Amino acid sequence: MRFAAVLLLGAALRAQSPTFEERKLTMIDAYARYQGKGDYGYAEIAAKLWRHEDPAWCSKKLEELLVQPSGDMFWMYPVTAIAYLDQGQLTDSARLALRKSWKTYMPYRGDTENHFLLYYSCLYLMSQMWPDADWYTGKSSAENMEEARQWIEGWVRLTTTRGQGEYDSPHYMGVYLLPMSYLAAWAKDPAMKKRAQMMLDLLIADYAPENLDGLFVGAHARVYETQLVEPANGVSVDFGWVWFGLGHRGAVPANYALYYLLASGYEPPEVLKLIATDRSQPYTHYERKRTRNRWRFYDDLHGPVYKTTYVRREYAVGSDQGGVLQPIQQHSWDVTWSVPNARGVQNTFFTLQPYSSTRELQTYFVFNPDGAVEGVVKSKKTYDSPDKLLGGSPFEKIVQDQDTVIALYDIAPETRFPQVNGFFSKDLEEVAEDASGWIFMRGGDSTYIACRPLQPYSWRPIEGGGRRLFSPYLKNGFVVQVAPRSEFAGLAAFKKAIVALPLEFRLEPTPSVKFRSLRGTTIEFTYGSTPRLNGTAVDYEHWPLFGGPFVESAVDSQKIVLRHGSLRRTLDFKNLTVTDSR
Amino acid sequence: MRWLLGLAAFPLFAQSSLYVAMTVTKEYVVGAKLPPSGLFVKNARGEWQHEGFNHPFIFSLDYDVADPSVVYLAAGNGLIRASAQGWKILTGSDVTELRDVSVDRAGTIYFAHSHGIRMSRDRGATWVEIGATLHRKFTEAVRTDGQQVVEGGEEGIFRTLDNGRSWLLAGAAGFQITRIEQSPLDRCEWAATTQGGGIFLSHDCAKTFESTGRIGVGATLYDVAYDPRQAKRIAVAGWGPGVAVSDDGGKTWQSRNSGLPVPEVVSVIFDPDVRARMYASVRDDGLYVSNDAGLNWVKQGLDGSVINRMRFIR
Repeated sequence: MRFAAVLLLGAALRAQSPTFEERKLTMIDAYARYQGKGDYGYAEIAAKLWRHEDPAWCSKKLEELLVQPSGDMFWMYPVTAIAYLDQGQLTDSARLALRKSWKTYMPYRGDTENHFLLYYSCLYLMSQMWPDADWYTGKSSAENMEEARQWIEGWVRLTTTRGQGEYDSPHYMGVYLLPMSYLAAWAKDPAMKKRAQMMLDLLIADYAPENLDGLFVGAHARVYETQLVEPANGVSVDFGWVWFGLGHRGAVPANYALYYLLASGYEPPEVLKLIATDRSQPYTHYERKRTRNRWRFYDDLHGPVYKTTYVRREYAVGSDQGGVLQPIQQHSWDVTWSVPNARGVQNTFFTLQPYSSTRELQTYFVFNPDGAVEGVVKSKKTYDSPDKLLGGSPFEKIVQDQDTVIALYDIAPETRFPQVNGFFSKDLEEVAEDASGWIFMRGGDSTYIACRPLQPYSWRPIEGGGRRLFSPYLKNGFVVQVAPRSEFAGLAAFKKAIVALPLEFRLEPTPSVKFRSLRGTTIEFTYGSTPRLNGTAVDYEHWPLFGGPFVESAVDSQKIVLRHGSLRRTLDFKNLTVTDSR
Repeated sequence: MRWLLGLAAFPLFAQSSLYVAMTVTKEYVVGAKLPPSGLFVKNARGEWQHEGFNHPFIFSLDYDVADPSVVYLAAGNGLIRASAQGWKILTGSDVTELRDVSVDRAGTIYFAHSHGIRMSRDRGATWVEIGATLHRKFTEAVRTDGQQVVEGGEEGIFRTLDNGRSWLLAGAAGFQITRIEQSPLDRCEWAATTQGGGIFLSHDCAKTFESTGRIGVGATLYDVAYDPRQAKRIAVAGWGPGVAVSDDGGKTWQSRNSGLPVPEVVSVIFDPDVRARMYASVRDDGLYVSNDAGLNWVKQGLDGSVINRMRFIR
């Protein structure tokens, strides 16, 4: 009986904490054994082939889908997976249809970093598979592979020296992981394979220290508004769950995660698991990224992005330096607090200057001016709305020190929306506007937030709940201090501590703040000038590619060190070596 | 079949074929299903024929005079050679978002792209970047007459006589250039359209371009065309001005929008075989034709499309 009880207990524990392999299988089976109406198309075919199930259905369905391909690079990645997962299961007819489609359909290469990576990774692998095929490119397989190799290697070099342009996207992280997973699994060239395996470590390391319960926190490029206000909607949650058992996955995972698992299905090493899950001590993590390609109005194709992310068990605070660093979908700073289950919870707080302009679009795209904004609004509905919550602004500058953020605004009067917005979630508790000018609030059970608007404001309702702070003053700003609830006897004690902090500010001729934070740092910040922390100017020139207790890398070094305790993994991209030590 | 449009008015003895680079992208974003788009040619029966692949972003086309069956397409994904043998992408991963293409009589190909200008003397087998010495690299328009290359980008019109070793400012400083054309009747007459600055004309073989200040200032002019059958007749297409025609070499302009649904026109061309016949593309609406130099327009099909560039090829 006692033995049986132990077995049952063990089984129960396993049920509570499934292993990586069990989590992986759960995700794959959401597609392979889908029971709902209709089917998942290519994704279901790929998942069934991985499982070696129902090849007749897979063949028939594939031929149906290939009658009229569409989707560009988003077509390339499922059919590439199907081609490699086939392994003799598909009918000759289905396989022929697949091969023929790469001659008769020209998938567009797109205009973003993720488009190109998907495109070239798939073209590389398909050309490798069929060395004598005819292609829509009009080139030989060898020419396709060489072109793809050059781009992929260039991307790896740029990413390991200056960072990604579509950095830290809670959504698009999947379309960087997926092609690297493909190449790690299916590339025959040992160097390509090794490079992809190392990039998987790097991409996971790019997320691991900036996650809170699986949520990708801090400043982002390319985030959608639904993911912004409710971080659990990000694709990152599926990866956090499958890699580290963090958070709560969706019923059906994003297909990016599926395809990642169907290829290499890479399980992160122990050092990354520890980095992702150890929140025993607060820490500040730094990253340098780059802007997307700036085709017009700048001398340099890429500008630097300086990221700061402070993480502790209770919450995370993250930011970039402000400005328009990428078009449309930039998110420059926020506070994210921990909740037991983030699904359905808007556990985040931030402010922004809602900005849209043809100039922004012409910087990053080759658009003609007329109809450009309307064209963007077709797919990014809020881009040209005054009440939007997403996007960078040339009139916003930000500094962060640990869990203190100061955001200043000096807005050109002729801009489309001369105002600032603040997102006050429906899930904030105990929101109180104090006579001191501070707004106090509680996020979840663990986090106190204080926000000091520097100009008058009013409240506007947000559809679906919550309020938007609206302030139509051109010289503007916010001082934000976050603290764990555990450091105070209650909200009153937090208020008292915040109000006692020295704060001086002026708004003319340019906004300027001097503030001593709860952590004892004196922050001096004038819009347009280099901020000073305890009298020392912030050193942007020597900002690392990665910095902090867990990930370190100097700009241009191509050497990334992952560490936790005595565990250390060194990724040397110049020599394509991985060194582990403990 | 929706593209097989009856064009009874089109003369059967026409010597040139009208090629258009068009897109139905009203509801399209990369990755979405694309209605028939790309390279279309009007065949001898006056029907539109879709040539080659469905393609969302072809911005310009030109052809090899030594072999007019070879058409070069400046496309978002590279410089494409379209011929009876099929399509071939002639460029690699190092260029993207091509905006314009120009082929000289010797077959040298120049294309404008998002970060410069490339040249090939071997019909696209190899390429040389000739825009590296430009201050700002984005290039929207490029034209060559075999002696010089004239380009328009973010900062005005520049010309080079030494294949990009040096570039000389030719005019429109500070304006974004949208198109550059050379008169087929007088090779020293050139025109360039701009974003906001109207039209700039050159009467000295592209050495200098001067603003006429008379049409399109404050709007965007997207295209300019010389009438190959009538000296001094020029047309411009723009957003706001629609179509305007000058019969005195750009000194005066007449608005010619009767029959167009909106004055939002992105491309315009004269028919080299039929006097006073013009074509104009209204954005997201399709193609219009006029048989009286723009006085009256009627719909000619390609519904819902935007035609980025039109070209008659003999």
